Amino acid sequence: MSLPARVGVAVLATTALLTSCTSREAAPSAQGTGGPAASAAASQASGPGCARDRIGYPAVDVKNAVIGFSQSEKEANPFRIAETQSIKDEAAKLGIPSDKLLVTNAQSDLNKQISDIKSLLDRGAQLLIVAPLNSDGLQPALDAAKAKQVPVVTIDRKVTSDPCDDYLTFIGSDFVEQGKRAAQAMVAATGGNGKVAILLGSSGNNVTTDRTKGFKDEIAKTPGISVVAEQTGEFDRSKGQSVMEQLILGNPDITAVYAENDEMGIGAVTALKAAGKTPGQDVKVVSIDGTRNAVQLVADGGYDAVIESNPRFGPLAFRTLQDFADGKEVPPTVIISDDEYDRSNAAQKLANAY
Amino acid sequence: MTAVRVRLRRGIGRGIGRQGAAVALVVMVLVAWLSFPRFGSPDNLRDMALQGSFLAIVALGMTFVIITGGIDLSVGSVYALGGVLAAYGSQWGFVVALVLPLAVCGLIGLLNGVLVARTGMAPFIVTLATLLLARGLLLAITSEGSTTYRIASGSAFLELGRGTVFGFGYPVFLALALCLAGGLVLRRTRFGQSVLATGGAEQSAVLMGLPVARTKVLVYTMSGVLSGFAGAVTAAYLESGVTVIGVGLELDAISVVVIGGTLLTGGAGTVLGTVIGVGLRTVIQNVINQIGTLDSNYQSVVSGAFLLLVVVLQRSLATRAARGT
Repeated sequence: MSLPARVGVAVLATTALLTSCTSREAAPSAQGTGGPAASAAASQASGPGCARDRIGYPAVDVKNAVIGFSQSEKEANPFRIAETQSIKDEAAKLGIPSDKLLVTNAQSDLNKQISDIKSLLDRGAQLLIVAPLNSDGLQPALDAAKAKQVPVVTIDRKVTSDPCDDYLTFIGSDFVEQGKRAAQAMVAATGGNGKVAILLGSSGNNVTTDRTKGFKDEIAKTPGISVVAEQTGEFDRSKGQSVMEQLILGNPDITAVYAENDEMGIGAVTALKAAGKTPGQDVKVVSIDGTRNAVQLVADGGYDAVIESNPRFGPLAFRTLQDFADGKEVPPTVIISDDEYDRSNAAQKLANAY
Repeated sequence: MTAVRVRLRRGIGRGIGRQGAAVALVVMVLVAWLSFPRFGSPDNLRDMALQGSFLAIVALGMTFVIITGGIDLSVGSVYALGGVLAAYGSQWGFVVALVLPLAVCGLIGLLNGVLVARTGMAPFIVTLATLLLARGLLLAITSEGSTTYRIASGSAFLELGRGTVFGFGYPVFLALALCLAGGLVLRRTRFGQSVLATGGAEQSAVLMGLPVARTKVLVYTMSGVLSGFAGAVTAAYLESGVTVIGVGLELDAISVVVIGGTLLTGGAGTVLGTVIGVGLRTVIQNVINQIGTLDSNYQSVVSGAFLLLVVVLQRSLATRAARGT
């Protein structure tokens, strides 16, 4: 982690300690702070902040507002389940009655997400939290929100529109940073020597690009480790498994696997076992996401490390909206902090995994 | 003449089938109007009309294809490709933005038509292949979906998707105009008669000297052009050529056509029925949103159950009518 980022995280972690009393999540181990810093955030200093008085939006107190949440895909995977739950939990914690939190799900249909957001506005939403299905194409919905002076916070995926003008801010993980931390965990697990195979995410996806870049840039600093193979497993468990099977056949001397999500990592573990290897011992496995299944494997010793991609945007999203209402400057990007699981902490932190 | 009687009975059954969908639509709208205060709001009605219009344009082409006894599985991919091509072409102005997707998507439709009509290959397989082909082409020109072409703000092409009359978006009027024209073509022209005859009894149509092969080529080309056009209008609405749209759209289009009373076996069907089918689907989706508290995994279950209910209602109305005669 670069020094400015580290300082930024530390500063915001402190802010989070002061402003929030939640203790559902532990602070990222990278910071070494043991205190409860729920979804501590490092605001990126880039670009000017967005202040309410500058764009002339009304002050809407979060606790008494009608809030709309537009989810992009079915809550059929752990990330989406945890994401939606986090929004609902935080609303409940703030004492917002359930009929004032309107929730829609676009079922992976972009046109539906647009009409979902419009219908949320039509049903009286004064604040919007949106998990965009795609970076482009939500402009009609953002325009509708703008026309009604409703601030929109986007979470987990950034849209290509203009922050402050088209939407308030984006809250999400730094995927390059995740890749970098995975590389550091890989160096720690392998002792700085090894032949790594990479299971890439879906091609043409910015998460894949970023997690690959972060990992490769960081791993290049350790001369003992070389990347011997990389292939896409499309973020899918069974694809990850079959790709891993082929990779072992072609490169029997692989000693480590970096999977760009947990599902592919779990698939790789199955393939490694079938090939007579012992994952976690002769082949080190590191992946990103922080799902319950992967963290359980780490705790059991058959896996080495998992870098979290934090889906619990609720506390940060509501706080950002309240900050905006209070007239504070909101930065164009708010980075959510991601935890890390390794052999030393996986068992204790298992409850945090989603 | 038994053939005449069969056709007559089928005609009545079809009429009732269409009314079944219409009855279901009226009931749904009334219930929704009374149950949800926001359902009848002007904003909501406008948005529903807009949402339905893209599907309606695609389903119009599908109606013709299904009436000839065929199926077009490529429409979803072709729709997405049309959108990307329109956004890509928009840098050279309005005409290119419109002509490029229509030409390419029309060519894919033509390919479908020629393969189905001249080689006798199953439409299911031919259009499944072009579904993959169109999606592949889309990924190739967007570097695997990572490049999204955006339509420059201020481009006249944007108006096509974003412009409004009385608050209703242009796509609504475009869809209505196209469906009206499609309905007239089906009922009032020789081509329309050929379409119905081809699906009804292909052998007889051939013996009667109707241009069966040419009709098939035309309907698939039409389906390609209409899907490409719907994609282009969507791109104008979204201000960009989004690559993730249109997945599974073919199934939506087929389902609204069938709900609208068009026989999957071909030979009978109406454009009005398809429009009613689109209306039903849009209303069902809107109602699920209005309920709001439904778990997302159950939304598809409810949506599917609704469709089943409508089909059963239609079926029972049709058999009762047939028994009555």
